[in-house]
Amino acid sequence: MEFGTLERQVHVEASPEVVFEVVSRPEHIREWWSDDASLDAVAPGAVGELVWRDGVDSQVESFTVVDVDPPRRFSFRWVTSEGETAKEGNSLLVTFDLEPSATGTTLRLTETGFREKGWEVAVLEEAYRDHERGWDLFLPRLVAHAATVAA
Amino acid sequence: MSPAPNVATSAPVDDDLWSAVGDPTRRRMLDALIAGPGTATSLSEVLPVTRQAVAKHLSVLDRVGLVHSTQVGRERHYQVDEAQLARAVAQLSAVGNAWDARLQHIKRIAESIERAKNNTHDTSHKDASEKHASEKGKNHG
Repeated sequence: MEFGTLERQVHVEASPEVVFEVVSRPEHIREWWSDDASLDAVAPGAVGELVWRDGVDSQVESFTVVDVDPPRRFSFRWVTSEGETAKEGNSLLVTFDLEPSATGTTLRLTETGFREKGWEVAVLEEAYRDHERGWDLFLPRLVAHAATVAA
Repeated sequence: MSPAPNVATSAPVDDDLWSAVGDPTRRRMLDALIAGPGTATSLSEVLPVTRQAVAKHLSVLDRVGLVHSTQVGRERHYQVDEAQLARAVAQLSAVGNAWDARLQHIKRIAESIERAKNNTHDTSHKDASEKHASEKGKNHG
């Protein structure tokens, strides 16, 4: 696995066309990610906003569409350094790859750029390097434990 | 320390806490301590590291408040600080599993749309239409 890349895959019992809409349209993005989302157009170069509200504060991240190939691929860059145009090296690249399967769609997510982005780089890299065998084993137990603590 | 923007969830991240649990050995130690209090000696017996290394890791965990210790005889007994652990869990879940949660949302939404398309006469609705706001890839903690 490439250092600094997050990869995930999920099977969805829906056609690639439906899944593509859900991953790419702001009215859906705000359902699965942020509290609000906007996007001028689902087209390369289009810039959108993700908004999270926390009480009176809200946090806004812009994102820039990179690749639109319905119903196969949708990608965008986010967490770009302030005042910069999103490009390789200054942002995280999120890519959704959709592949039709017998009963629906295999949705593959990759997020890259952690290394180049350098956000709290040592900490984050350490976290991702061990993500697969570390956190996935550790977290369920921690979460289960936390649930008993909270109860 | 001023909170750094958390790229994955837009919630503040405690860098020290991250560092503390970013290490696989320390995570294994926490796992062991969740089962019950332990000492540097008892932990070194169940982990492939020396007692000295365990002691060092314990001091890191102690510094960020993930464990507390009490002196019992000649040994220092460590136990997990549950409140701080819950806080770490919230942060870790939010960041490390942010995409898992998002993908589960995407799955639910897409499947509910697909069902609506295929069964317009079927009025039965399943959990897909429920709003699981608390699972959004955002740290509410």
